[in-house]
Amino acid sequence: MRNPRVGWALLSPTLIILLIFGFAPFIYVLVVGFFDWNVFAAEDGLRFNGLDNFRRLVFDDLFLSSVGLTIRFAVFAIVSEIVLGFVLAQMLTRSFPGKSLFRIIHTFPLMVAPIAVGAIWRLLVIPGFGPVPFFLDRWLGLTYQIGTYPDQALMTSVLMDIWHWTPFVTLTMLAGLSSIPREPVEQAKVDGANRLQVFWYVTLPFLRPVLLTTVFIRIMDAIRTVDEVWMLAGGGPGTRFTGIYIWRVTSPAASADWGYGSSVSLITLYLTIVLCWLLFIAISGRRKGEVE
Amino acid sequence: MANLPPSAPPYQREEEVGARQRLARSDKEPGFLPIYTNAFDRVFISLVILIGIHLLWLRFMEPALPIEVATVISLAIGIYIVRRG
Repeated sequence: MRNPRVGWALLSPTLIILLIFGFAPFIYVLVVGFFDWNVFAAEDGLRFNGLDNFRRLVFDDLFLSSVGLTIRFAVFAIVSEIVLGFVLAQMLTRSFPGKSLFRIIHTFPLMVAPIAVGAIWRLLVIPGFGPVPFFLDRWLGLTYQIGTYPDQALMTSVLMDIWHWTPFVTLTMLAGLSSIPREPVEQAKVDGANRLQVFWYVTLPFLRPVLLTTVFIRIMDAIRTVDEVWMLAGGGPGTRFTGIYIWRVTSPAASADWGYGSSVSLITLYLTIVLCWLLFIAISGRRKGEVE
Repeated sequence: MANLPPSAPPYQREEEVGARQRLARSDKEPGFLPIYTNAFDRVFISLVILIGIHLLWLRFMEPALPIEVATVISLAIGIYIVRRG
């Protein structure tokens, strides 16, 4: 008979670390979110102010625009990464010349630190110096200046994120595809299913757990992206490409008032949970009347 | 749902059992939510809705009605979801 004490004993180091470094700071931030704690205030310490931080936050136009921008960035980047990652993973399940080399080169961006990725892309797209604006202007006559046009800054950041994180999605998808048993795929083919039907009715249901995990990880990462985007365009032009966490770090209000900053973190956590939960419902097949 | 033959692969049998359990549960507890839920899910959904209602209330409704009204409304919705969801 299994002894539950052994299980708890084996789990306890991880649980203790999680409790100290994960749960305790969360509770601290949760509490501080309801206090006024400004480092420049005349009086030291925390003063309870109820929902005032959140009241201030829901009327902060810059924060609201940063939320919209972050969601746009996350949607564009994650959808592209999932599609591209799946296609590449499918390709890597087959044999072709130079496959090993391709796999190594393809995984390189994962090894680069986000701040270095931002620096590389900044060098590529900086006006008057980078090759991208030069050739776009020379060959297509397009004006490409991420310091002037916010849409270009957004699209460049999305491209940069795709370049950086698609290999991760490819690897997880490849693991998922490799674990699919051959029998159901062969049965479907024998029953006359075409490629699209095999993908939709066999491959995709088997990939659901992997897909779900990958999307969750990428959503959490995309929402708290700071270093890459900050390095690329500094949250600009002006404040027009300032995501939630860039705003959290750079805004004088949020960085000097720790209570207000904590409320920003809590709202961001709330947004992340809601987005992940909605996606979980959409992807996991828990809807009524639907058989997984 | 067709019964699978004994020779069916294990993963198919597991799916069949899972689907049957979910259908049985939905017959037993016909909640109004469009997804299969347990008590924890319903408490979680209530909490998410409670926070959402309060934030929207702070933004749009507070000049007209105090925040306590939002608390009462969201608690009522929460109890309804936990019991009937």
